[in-house]
Amino acid sequence: MNGLAVTRAVFAKDLLLDFRTRDRLGHMAVFALLVVSLLSIVVPASPTERLAWSPALLWVVLLFTSLLGLARSFQSETEGGALALLVQAPVDRGWVFLGKAGANALALIGVELWTGILFTVFLDVDWTHAWREALCAGLLGALGLASLGTLLSAMSVAVRFREFLLPVLLFPLVLPVLVLASSITGAALAERPVPTLWWGVFALYDWVFLSLGYLVFDYVLED
Amino acid sequence: MSAVELRDLCKHYGPVRALRDVSLSVESGALVWLAGANGAGKSTLLRVLGSLTRPTRGSLSLFGVDPFSSAGASVRGRVGFLGQDASLYAELSVAENLRFCARLRGVAEPELHRIASELELGPVLEQRVRTLSQGYRRRAGLARALLGSPSLLLLDEPWNGLDAESGERLTRLLVRLRDAGAVVLVAAHEASGPLPRFDRRLRLEGGRVVADGAAA
Repeated sequence: MNGLAVTRAVFAKDLLLDFRTRDRLGHMAVFALLVVSLLSIVVPASPTERLAWSPALLWVVLLFTSLLGLARSFQSETEGGALALLVQAPVDRGWVFLGKAGANALALIGVELWTGILFTVFLDVDWTHAWREALCAGLLGALGLASLGTLLSAMSVAVRFREFLLPVLLFPLVLPVLVLASSITGAALAERPVPTLWWGVFALYDWVFLSLGYLVFDYVLED
Repeated sequence: MSAVELRDLCKHYGPVRALRDVSLSVESGALVWLAGANGAGKSTLLRVLGSLTRPTRGSLSLFGVDPFSSAGASVRGRVGFLGQDASLYAELSVAENLRFCARLRGVAEPELHRIASELELGPVLEQRVRTLSQGYRRRAGLARALLGSPSLLLLDEPWNGLDAESGERLTRLLVRLRDAGAVVLVAAHEASGPLPRFDRRLRLEGGRVVADGAAA
């Protein structure tokens, strides 16, 4: 059995469920809208201060918004006992992880684009000169958040207080994503060069957690 | 080589001992009834055999392979499992669910349609699972478990929710699978209604096999 075919099947099924129910994406979009509109009231109105605050605020908003989606990434499996389908896939279960993480990453990229637009509308953030770096940081950030979030979400499926447990586990571990992504976004918005080392560390972080998820998912999915 | 081989298998959930030193061996082409009261360990035994839960202790071999070893992935494709849930996505249609499972197991589209038609799922194929009656949901779950012509079929209370006609059809299907060489393990209460003629009856009590013999 081809592992890649399983990854593709899981990825396509998750996207289909996301588009069909719209719960997860809708909740994340509305949450981001509410938070950014509130930020537009409390963040100082001077362009210099907004430029200084925006990168960090953007990634904190994205982190909290992502959490809403990641916490529900196994909801469709737990509702009808469909987790058994994934556990019984006749391949290394790491391939299932890659499909789930891929679908989560794509959903997060959509949320990032939406939040970027909200920052332009509400906080006057101008992406004209920074969009390439911001997009790359967004892709790496989505991959990092999705890898770690998918793994932790699967680990907390059968746990009571999982809504509490997921952020407690996730936040300390995604700190590098938050720091790197906001630093890169800040540098790009200020039209400063982004050190190559930051990209390297970011890519390494993603690779480590993607590999870790692939390797340990076999054990995580079982009771 | 036995199709299913268990040696001193235990499964503990914290202080609860769901299975205690279960040893058994089942040859190919057998229709086996797992009997026992609620909480006897029938469902846990099926879940362990279906690789859904790892045993705490003991050894398990399906067709000569430990399903929890690194080589276990290949043998999972030979096992069909229907638990107490249908294990289907509520927001997908029956056809979408079956297609997804077929893709997971590398099963071709014609086989999917053959099984759906055998279980008379035609009228509900395009309906979302959440809108189905209990009986249709059960049949859809069964169709899902049968994808890929499993050599080991594990069914937990499969007659629950089925009407008499569907129940009889299921019985005939199980007998046919057994005749084709598959091992069919069915967990069911004595009160589940008219059951097929099983080749063997294993009675579980408190997580132990307390009786093993030809079914009456």
